[in-house]
Amino acid sequence: MTTDTPQETVFSNNQLSVDEIPSFKTLALVPISKKYRALNIFSIGLIALALTGIITGLRFQRFWSLPENLLLAYPYVVAGIVAIGGVWALYHFFADVRIFYAIREQDISKQSGLIFRKLSCQPILRVQHVEVNRGPLDRWAGLASLQVFSAGGEMYTFEIPGLSLSRAEQLREFILAHKDIGAR
Amino acid sequence: MAASGPSENQTIDVMRSQEPNDDVSLSLLNDGEGSSEHRPEVETGGDWQRLAVISILYFTIRNFTNMAQGLIYAVPALAISFNIWDNLFSPQVLIGAGVLFLSTSGSGVISYLMYKFRVHNQHVEIHHGVFQRRYTNLPLWRIQNVKIERPFYYRPFGYALVVLDTAGSGKEEAKIVAVPESYAEALKKQVLYEKVQHIGDNVAGKPDEEMGDKNSSTQYSAKIDTAAASALTNEEVLNRRSVKDIIIHGITNNRVWIILGAAAPFYDDVFGVVSEWLANKGLQLNQIVGEQTVAWWQFGLYAFVVLMMIMALVALLSVGGALFTFYGYTLSRTGDRYIRRSGLLNKLEVSMRASRIQMITAKQDWLDKVLKRVNLYFEQNSTAGQQMQELMSPNKLIVPSVTEDEAFALSQEVMPGCDLRGQHYQTISRRFIRFWLLAAWTTPLLGIFVVGAVTSHLDIMIGAVSTFIIVALLLTLRWWRWGIAYDNKYVYIRRGRVGVDYQCFEPYKAQQVIVKQSIFMKKRKLATIKFVLASGAVTVPFLPEEYVNKLADSVLYEVEATRKSWM
Repeated sequence: MTTDTPQETVFSNNQLSVDEIPSFKTLALVPISKKYRALNIFSIGLIALALTGIITGLRFQRFWSLPENLLLAYPYVVAGIVAIGGVWALYHFFADVRIFYAIREQDISKQSGLIFRKLSCQPILRVQHVEVNRGPLDRWAGLASLQVFSAGGEMYTFEIPGLSLSRAEQLREFILAHKDIGAR
Repeated sequence: MAASGPSENQTIDVMRSQEPNDDVSLSLLNDGEGSSEHRPEVETGGDWQRLAVISILYFTIRNFTNMAQGLIYAVPALAISFNIWDNLFSPQVLIGAGVLFLSTSGSGVISYLMYKFRVHNQHVEIHHGVFQRRYTNLPLWRIQNVKIERPFYYRPFGYALVVLDTAGSGKEEAKIVAVPESYAEALKKQVLYEKVQHIGDNVAGKPDEEMGDKNSSTQYSAKIDTAAASALTNEEVLNRRSVKDIIIHGITNNRVWIILGAAAPFYDDVFGVVSEWLANKGLQLNQIVGEQTVAWWQFGLYAFVVLMMIMALVALLSVGGALFTFYGYTLSRTGDRYIRRSGLLNKLEVSMRASRIQMITAKQDWLDKVLKRVNLYFEQNSTAGQQMQELMSPNKLIVPSVTEDEAFALSQEVMPGCDLRGQHYQTISRRFIRFWLLAAWTTPLLGIFVVGAVTSHLDIMIGAVSTFIIVALLLTLRWWRWGIAYDNKYVYIRRGRVGVDYQCFEPYKAQQVIVKQSIFMKKRKLATIKFVLASGAVTVPFLPEEYVNKLADSVLYEVEATRKSWM
């Protein structure tokens, strides 16, 4: 590199509010809100209940008659829904407490995954825009998810789910106030 | 560098020694003159302009192709509803066809009349559309790419089609359909100038400090000014492809699809003609297949001959396709831009700013390896959801079938000091093979094998075993190729099975770094690293954990400490 772009300050990338740990692998990770797991399991339960309700409604309605083998399949379908919902909820039970995030001066990181653990790191310099997203259930539970977009494309949107609203707003403010944002 | 001597040489030296960004910021110092001498050519003033009359031809052809595409879907419906061939020359059909023909040709004139454009106050404004009127307003500094196309019917008259690309979506593309070639070139230069100026506004105030660092600052800046000015007019051709090269490209790469795609509407006719021709030669397919008298070796011979004929035909078509897109290929550089021009009937021009290049990819298939040729790609940021044909895409600049030495020279030109082959690559762990065999292939193939064994079908069992062996072999090849290297300036990735692909990118262009590790990999101290670039993501799996962590840290440091722009 012949000429570097001028730097106003000496480069530093110390972790905020934690002791100085410059390596990316030894981040002090902060867990996301505990409500996130409860909310996920609750919504899985809700979906399973709704599906079972629809099928039960179809099974026991008196407006038109169903073929015999569909009637026979009914208990298996319900059992299937319950089983899939159970596995899904079990996954969230174990996986959701393993979502962590960390913020350093120059980047945000997220670790997630049950068997395949994934640690992604998004330099704030490369952030194009930030969104705080809240679905209806999130709003009910007072949660929000932070989405950070870079030029890497839609597939690689950096997302931290299950943050408390105030934390999500705070993180957004931090990123927006960062002196590098918009510098591209 | 001496101040005297041939000025062209100097400009090239200066451009070479400069990083694209610096060159931009430095050249700003007094390019006011430059832009003022370019502006009058481009600005059309407040009045709306019409296109050249030749554009009627363009609109007409476009409308005809659109109609033809629409008709392809309508034809089966029409054919079913009434026997069109019997009534082909009946008055109704003739009148219908005539009306359709006349209205389509008339529509070209209407499109022409409805199209107005102006370049005013550094904005390109276009009013177009017949039923759905559209207004496009593009500030010149927003334009990312300028493509100049010359359809064959424009060429004798010296006209060109200018396609203006913005950073946003593919829909935000604007076309100025027919302007004189000189105007198209002037507009392109102006866009480049506006860009320089716009970036300059952002870094204003900094150039002085930068200049202070240099020793012979005044001399230097003077030279760079002339460099920037002359770079806009001087083009240096970096690479040309001869017809022979393109034929090689056609053979080594399957470019059949170009021809097949264009010929799609004529498939049925061609098939009819071919089978008739075969019948005339006394060769009837159903006769051969149907008759039991033909010995198996005879049948095999027939099949072999037919296969060879098809292969030869495919190769021929592929060469035709390659010639169609790459005839007269030149890659040249003006200032900080690379420009590719090629095409047999339609001359296509794609230009790309050097600083936008995210990654160099050198692809070598097995046939390329035999012939010692390389396909080189310069990849730009890919706008999400924009599915462009790979060869025409402005996001990928391809240099087809260059020799290995040329590939080396070109990659050096784009990324100085980049040596794809001279690296010591960190190879991936052998566990990669085991993981994929166990995780993805063993269960289904074992299942098939068991089914074969239970139903006592030997062929199924043999099939399962041989598939397993082939998969294991391919995975081994993939493991053998896959590797990564970092020489403190570039990150290199080598991958492939039979062929080899080399990829190279500057670490500071990374958008995101991802490290993945399963609990099994953690035990073995292995990890997968993934770099997200604006042009796409690259992954290298099953690397030593230590190495991955160090690399991720250095790449992140490179991004965050240098603070260079990725664009």
